[in-house]
Amino acid sequence: MSRHWQLIKIFYGASIAVQLEYRVNFVVNLIGSLLTAIGSLFGLSILIAGGSSLGGWNQTEAIVVVGVFTLMEGFMGVFLYPNLNKIGEGVRTGSMDFTLLKPLDAQFLISSRDVNILRVADLLIGVGLIVYASLKLSSVQSPGILIAVLLILAGFASIYSIWFMLCTTAFWWVGVENITELFWGFFRAGQFPVTAFPGWGRILFTFVIPVAFITTVPAEALIGRGKLETAIGALGVAVLLLIVSRLFWKFALKNYTSASS
Amino acid sequence: MKPEARIELGLLENMWRKSRTMFALWFAHMTVYRAEIFIWMLSGVVPLIMMSVWIGKASANGGTLEKFDAASFAAYFLAAWVSQQLTVAWVAWEMNFQIRQGELSSRLLRPIDPLWEHVFRHFTERFVRGPFILVFVIAGTFVVPGTKLTPDVWHVLEFLLVIHLAFLIRFLMQCCVGTLSFWFENATAFDEFLYVLQTFLAGGFAPLEFYPPAIRAVVEWTPFPYMVYYPAKILTGTLTPSETWRVMLITLAWVLAFGILRSILWRFGIKKYGAVGA
Repeated sequence: MSRHWQLIKIFYGASIAVQLEYRVNFVVNLIGSLLTAIGSLFGLSILIAGGSSLGGWNQTEAIVVVGVFTLMEGFMGVFLYPNLNKIGEGVRTGSMDFTLLKPLDAQFLISSRDVNILRVADLLIGVGLIVYASLKLSSVQSPGILIAVLLILAGFASIYSIWFMLCTTAFWWVGVENITELFWGFFRAGQFPVTAFPGWGRILFTFVIPVAFITTVPAEALIGRGKLETAIGALGVAVLLLIVSRLFWKFALKNYTSASS
Repeated sequence: MKPEARIELGLLENMWRKSRTMFALWFAHMTVYRAEIFIWMLSGVVPLIMMSVWIGKASANGGTLEKFDAASFAAYFLAAWVSQQLTVAWVAWEMNFQIRQGELSSRLLRPIDPLWEHVFRHFTERFVRGPFILVFVIAGTFVVPGTKLTPDVWHVLEFLLVIHLAFLIRFLMQCCVGTLSFWFENATAFDEFLYVLQTFLAGGFAPLEFYPPAIRAVVEWTPFPYMVYYPAKILTGTLTPSETWRVMLITLAWVLAFGILRSILWRFGIKKYGAVGA
């Protein structure tokens, strides 16, 4: 385990050193992240115009959801995108061979090779929005905060697993490199509390694409509205997805025959 | 026939031949990427997400919100989705790639403005995307009963005209951003800014009726609502004829403005361009 930590430190160090060369990118990306956050808040203010509620959530409570959503967005941008989206390229060019030959778990190596610090702003803005809204809400208590942190970590695990499975399909569909855009598109539903959707939307975003467990459930726990069932549900989904994605990866590797062989 | 007239006919024939070749070439190219195009289409799902949020909000409010009921929300956002799908452009990204990688050099040697390659790439892509869109629209009108997507042939024809102009706004705007790659390495970041603005201002997020009046007044002066909001209003038949005329003229004005800006930027940029290694 400590070996893995050490490797992550080396990988991230190298990755960051490269990115520090392009300093203008920081400013540009920061503006982009800020614009996106302002857009989300602006959108929310249109939906909750005149003190109305959004699926039973008032403006401040809904900002918590936007915060969790932005945090998840940041997680994808910083940790997932720069790593997992290279699986397709590896399969196509055959460079996956070198990864598989290393004396280390290939899934670990593929998932931790790079980090994109340009998107760290999203993580910070997400946390900022959550803290800002929490300070205005008296219902936020420490046990809720602890559970929310746990659920956010579970959300990271769920997103990672889904993203990883989508990228693993590259072993069969080499041509389809934009498949993660699909998840990305639907994940945008997570910037609203799931109760904002009519019945069929709620079912879709809870059971088919588990967006609700990733953003709404942690936010509920934080503002002291959490229910035991949904919290256990979110943890269960995360564990299940981790196991399934691992099995899927093993299955994909069995079918891997390298490029042009 | 006068000699000048013959030359003119020859030119036209020449243009027609070139267009046919370009169309055949890029259409074949795009059919190869049909799976990716299908996924891009599915990923542009924001108007449909917003459709369900607004329908949820209307039903919580007793059925209607500012004269919009579930059926008219469904019609508006379905039309907005179609408008967004038909105006998709990625030329900024492509120009940035060609300029940074030096691929532009070989394009410049061809006896045709590199712009046309991009025009035909986008144009032929619509023919691959089109059948998928049609299936989704037909399915969509069945899923939400009573969707008021206009059956009026005139509205569809007006829409077909206006959506081409709307596409040109987005395309030429991106061309302008693309030419910035002559000066900035990461000009695609500007495209991302435009994308964010477009997400919230073009009309895929909410009909402009729901924007605060002060903000709406500002948004009307930007090109964004002419890409999604107004085409969607025309397709659903909720604009008066005089408003439709006004919208078409303003859209045309934006196309001209970005067209002129693009050619100015291009002229300066191309002087700045030195291929990799030059």
